[in-house]
Amino acid sequence: MSEAIDTLRVVSPVPGTAMGLESVPDPTFSAGMVGPGVAIHPEPGQEGGQDRKQEAVSPITGMLVKLHPHAFVVMASDGSRGVLVHLGIDTVQLAGEGFDLMATQGERVEAGVPVIRWSPGAVAAAGKPSVVPVVALEASADALTEEAHGAVVRGDPLFVWE
Amino acid sequence: MADKAAAIVAGLGGAGNIEDVEACITRLRTEVGDPALVSESELKSAGAHGVLTSGSVVQVVVGPEADTLADDIQDLLG
Repeated sequence: MSEAIDTLRVVSPVPGTAMGLESVPDPTFSAGMVGPGVAIHPEPGQEGGQDRKQEAVSPITGMLVKLHPHAFVVMASDGSRGVLVHLGIDTVQLAGEGFDLMATQGERVEAGVPVIRWSPGAVAAAGKPSVVPVVALEASADALTEEAHGAVVRGDPLFVWE
Repeated sequence: MADKAAAIVAGLGGAGNIEDVEACITRLRTEVGDPALVSESELKSAGAHGVLTSGSVVQVVVGPEADTLADDIQDLLG
């Protein structure tokens, strides 16, 4: 088995419009404090549609090392690269209300498998941004290539982590 | 990890200055009694990626170990 780290292809966990992290209204993400990545802004009409829920899926295949109602981290099989998906901003304050877990912390997940069911509209109605930052944790800024821009659906290529 | 927690408590002005600590995946959200006692440079030396202060609310961005750190800090404040 080769010791080389394979290129990690990260896919979009939610549908929406992909933009740079600098578009996220929170310096933790926009200033890249926890790593580089891509932000997915909700689809038009999602901001106020309280009842409609969607499934956020795993962006890579790996171990679901952290699972909160509003955010999760999947660690790649190399054991050193983790991808964070954070559903909305400051959503920890919602204390899980409106978020349904569809997986268990500690289990192995395939890319594209549902992890959390949530409503971006309900998050927006609670006064919080519903943008979803997807972050390559602790990666250097130049480690990412092929970042998506524009409309993406779940499972679309989002970025590549060398 | 306990050393890091102790260093962060010191950077926040000591246990007596910390009124509340909670964590969210990437950061510690704390409330301090006296913001003037908070040292951003000390927090960064302790390993913080960044410090965001707004009045008495000090957010310390530490990365994905935030939850574990918050528990260690709670133990130190106990």
